[in-house]
Amino acid sequence: MSVLLDHLPVIWQGLVVTLQLTVASFLGAAVLGVLVTAMRVSPVGVLRALGTAYVEAFQNLPLLVLLVLAFFGLPEIGIKAEPLVTAIVVISIYEAAYIAEALRSGVNSVGKGQGEAARALGLTFRQSLWYVILPQALRTVVQPLGNIIIALTMNTLLAGAISVVDLTEEAKRINLVEAQPIPIFVGVGLIYALIASGVGFVTGRLERRLVMVR
Amino acid sequence: MKKMVAVVAVSLLGLAACSSTNTSGSPAVPGEAKPAAAEWLAKAPVADAAAILPGSTMEKIKKRGELIVGGSLDAPLLSQQNPVSGEIEGFDADMGKALAKYIIGEPKVKIVNSASETREALLGNGTVDVVFQTYTITPERAEQVAFAGPYYTSGLTIAVKKGTTGIAKPEDLNGKKVIAGANTPAIAAIKKLAPKAEIVTFGSDPECMQALKQDRGVAYVQDETLLIANAKKDPSIEVVGNPFTQDPYGIGLKHGDEQFKTFVNDWLKKTQSAGVWQQVWKNSIGTVVQGEAPAPPQIGSVPGS
Amino acid sequence: MSSLLFDEPGPRARRRIRIATVVGVLAALALAALAVRQFAANGQLAPERWQPYATWPMWRYLLDGLWSTALAAVVSAALSMALGLVLALGRLSERRWLRVPSAAYVEVVRVIPALLLVYVVLFALPKYGLDLPLFWKLVVPLTVSNAAAFAEIFRAGILSIERGQTEAGLAVGLSRGQTMRMIVLPQAARRVLPSIVSQSVGLLKDTSLGFVVSYGELLYSGKVLASYNGLVIQTYVVVALIYLGVNASLSKLARVLEQRSRAHA
Repeated sequence: MSVLLDHLPVIWQGLVVTLQLTVASFLGAAVLGVLVTAMRVSPVGVLRALGTAYVEAFQNLPLLVLLVLAFFGLPEIGIKAEPLVTAIVVISIYEAAYIAEALRSGVNSVGKGQGEAARALGLTFRQSLWYVILPQALRTVVQPLGNIIIALTMNTLLAGAISVVDLTEEAKRINLVEAQPIPIFVGVGLIYALIASGVGFVTGRLERRLVMVR
Repeated sequence: MKKMVAVVAVSLLGLAACSSTNTSGSPAVPGEAKPAAAEWLAKAPVADAAAILPGSTMEKIKKRGELIVGGSLDAPLLSQQNPVSGEIEGFDADMGKALAKYIIGEPKVKIVNSASETREALLGNGTVDVVFQTYTITPERAEQVAFAGPYYTSGLTIAVKKGTTGIAKPEDLNGKKVIAGANTPAIAAIKKLAPKAEIVTFGSDPECMQALKQDRGVAYVQDETLLIANAKKDPSIEVVGNPFTQDPYGIGLKHGDEQFKTFVNDWLKKTQSAGVWQQVWKNSIGTVVQGEAPAPPQIGSVPGS
Repeated sequence: MSSLLFDEPGPRARRRIRIATVVGVLAALALAALAVRQFAANGQLAPERWQPYATWPMWRYLLDGLWSTALAAVVSAALSMALGLVLALGRLSERRWLRVPSAAYVEVVRVIPALLLVYVVLFALPKYGLDLPLFWKLVVPLTVSNAAAFAEIFRAGILSIERGQTEAGLAVGLSRGQTMRMIVLPQAARRVLPSIVSQSVGLLKDTSLGFVVSYGELLYSGKVLASYNGLVIQTYVVVALIYLGVNASLSKLARVLEQRSRAHA
């Protein structure tokens, strides 16, 4: 592990980038995911179809392919962004499909009576979704959402393919000089495991606090 | 339980069926090395039976009837698979075939595609016999693997979009964004000569080229040969200045196998004196670099070899 | 249930929806047209840039890669489902010595990137004398990591079966094992089928890690092609379409299976 300690400053830099990627992509994915979920249960047929197509498309493409396509393809249609921004946007869009899917199963698990009661009280579609359905749906999906965040954390390492210098990319560069793959990659793996366990711990706590006794 | 097994089996069958319909009628890529008509191959020497020492690595390879080479499939001019024929073409690939002929009598090669991160491990655990993959000889690497050669010397150079000014030598890259291939020696070289340059890396040469054309960086540092080939294909790119490094490429062997190293070095000398080395060069790198084949580097001339 | 969140739109609302839809679709089409124009202006639509992908050798090469992808995915899915089932049962077992290691496995493996597991098999195991053939260098780490995911899916499925089912099984004199095998598992399997398929699709996508171990799967084949013809964008578009086609048909299959099993239930 001493190889890693020798390169602590760059490891730290890489870690910061990985955390930036993780946090920003999660926020983006959460917002988009809620939006897509809303589309999928909305009264407008086109929106429902769009929402479904969105989830279908992005769940069925490897993230790596999406990243490379977006990075090299979008400038050709006049949209060019920094690699880090491109990575965050693409990971957000990709993970939003998973969040939307999880949320939808959560929405489906909320009892029928809840929606009926909300409507009976005169709440609009937006109000009943936002105040009645989603909060309850969220409770049942804390665990799946935690899994999605963990997966997202791991997935950020693919950003290296479009020149984002994250933790894994720094590790690869160190290995190029030191040629000691085992300590380097095991050490970096431990860092990922730590981040992911942190996420797992928080969602576990959240779940315990949010889950209703039925 | 039975039902569940059935369910799982059905979904698996579905998977298999679905993929097999997609490939129906597609035979495996013709990987069998068809007898290459190249004249250099006919000239390539074969080792004396006495040189294949009993119990040696070369004897093992000869008995197997196939040389297992660690190399690339996606390095144009050096070791690039041709999707049409399935053949792997280029300088490194042909040198591998020549070595196979020397040991076995036939150019029977299996290329195990290896990444820069995995070469040491593949050699160390005997998955591959040799590595031909722009493997620069360095004293650090020589602690983990043995190097025969060097068999070729190349250098890094700089490519820019045509019309770019102010970049003529590596020092000019300071403070600029520079594109380099992931896991290539360019990264360390840029860090050394232009420490203030910001290095952006991509996984393959065409991706680096695309990035250069899309202004993801002002310059692209890569092996001279590759860049000359690129500039030939794409007139919007030009190569500036001369190579600023000397990278001696070695043939990677298992660490400590002195017997095999001597054997491979002998082969290298023979292929060079027979003119085979030069012809291999002409067929590959020589198709983009003008002039006659350069003089091959002195064997054992670099620290680590 | 979604329809309960809003009233059936009346004639005016329907008209408004229709107008908004038309306007929206037109705007989207206009944007798409602009994008395509720009794309063409940059020469990316030039016929010679796409022509290679109208030829059989390129497709043969890619389909060969797809075959390798499918093979790795199928073998790894089968193995990780089997291991996952064992782990799920272990985690639900009444015996502590089964429960604790199973839970530990799942919790630990869940937080390690699959890429790292690939590196372990690639670099570390050979040092201890275990050098796997290329195919298994990809399949083993994928299996190890996906088994944890499958275990959680199976466990959730088993837990979702009402307790009454188990109680009824025990009441008619079946043993715990028999109850699990004959009553709980068949129902659980049906319930988790969609998750199993989506996890399998994920696994299929994960095989793209094969480029690290130099296993010639679809994505890697695309990379070799791009370096052969220099067409980065076109190659990745084609590769993306192949993944999309294969995975979408898998998902479709899942839905059909789900409906069928529901009809039988």
